[in-house]
Amino acid sequence: MERGDTKLPREVFAGLVIAIVLDTIIQIAWKLAVSGIPAKASIGGTAHAALANPFFYAAMLAFVAQLFNWVRVLSRSDLSFVQPFTALSYLSVLAISAHSLHENISASKMLGVALILLGVFFISRTPFRTTDAHNAVLKHPESLRS
Amino acid sequence: MRPALLGILVLLAAVAVESFAQLFLKIGASGGPEILLLRYRRLIGRFSISSAAANWVVLGVIAYGFEILLYTFSLHLLDVSVAFPMGSLCFVGVAMLSKMLLGETVGRTRWLGVGCIVVGAVFVAL
Repeated sequence: MERGDTKLPREVFAGLVIAIVLDTIIQIAWKLAVSGIPAKASIGGTAHAALANPFFYAAMLAFVAQLFNWVRVLSRSDLSFVQPFTALSYLSVLAISAHSLHENISASKMLGVALILLGVFFISRTPFRTTDAHNAVLKHPESLRS
Repeated sequence: MRPALLGILVLLAAVAVESFAQLFLKIGASGGPEILLLRYRRLIGRFSISSAAANWVVLGVIAYGFEILLYTFSLHLLDVSVAFPMGSLCFVGVAMLSKMLLGETVGRTRWLGVGCIVVGAVFVAL
């Protein structure tokens, strides 16, 4: 086991949950915004159609919220610790699209879901931060605002 | 060049750009390039790149925008069942950059987790 802090602070946990929810919203809204656009549309046509779609703005709003949330999460933990958790949004998007399209999830997809969960479980067993740099920032939070 | 090969090259570029986007956001979130290992901090200093944290966040967002363009383009050339699992290689890219440039401890357990996620993404896309 790697050395470092192992007990995940509540704000990092909450930030990860928010990140996965927002990531799911971004992906679903993005899909809904571009799904009506013909594949052969020009770049201008695609942009025009997207700008007329409210789902595009929902995705953008969630993206901005995600940026603020993610910077907060990153300021408190290892990048290589928190970033793999975003793979959980693969699963939420899969679940939502399977549910809304009334699709059955194949055995291979179930295996993939299990492997991703196992992978995230392994990561969660490692310390959430392993460098001293975080401590410096937390002692001098004004450096974040420079 | 065959469309599939071009698609894979564009996708690998998207993976690299996304990994760097995460690195830039991490630098911005951590107060600036002080978080980098000394030799990379010196390299940044030599190019007199801004040390203001907010600029690194902006750089990360720009890289993300670029990544979305590259990924969208690659989806025109590749099947989603190929593009999606290959996109998950950014978990590998981020682990490598975190270890090499930030000095994070990416040990056996963390690599095992990343490996499971990438293989899992292959099965999810099947």
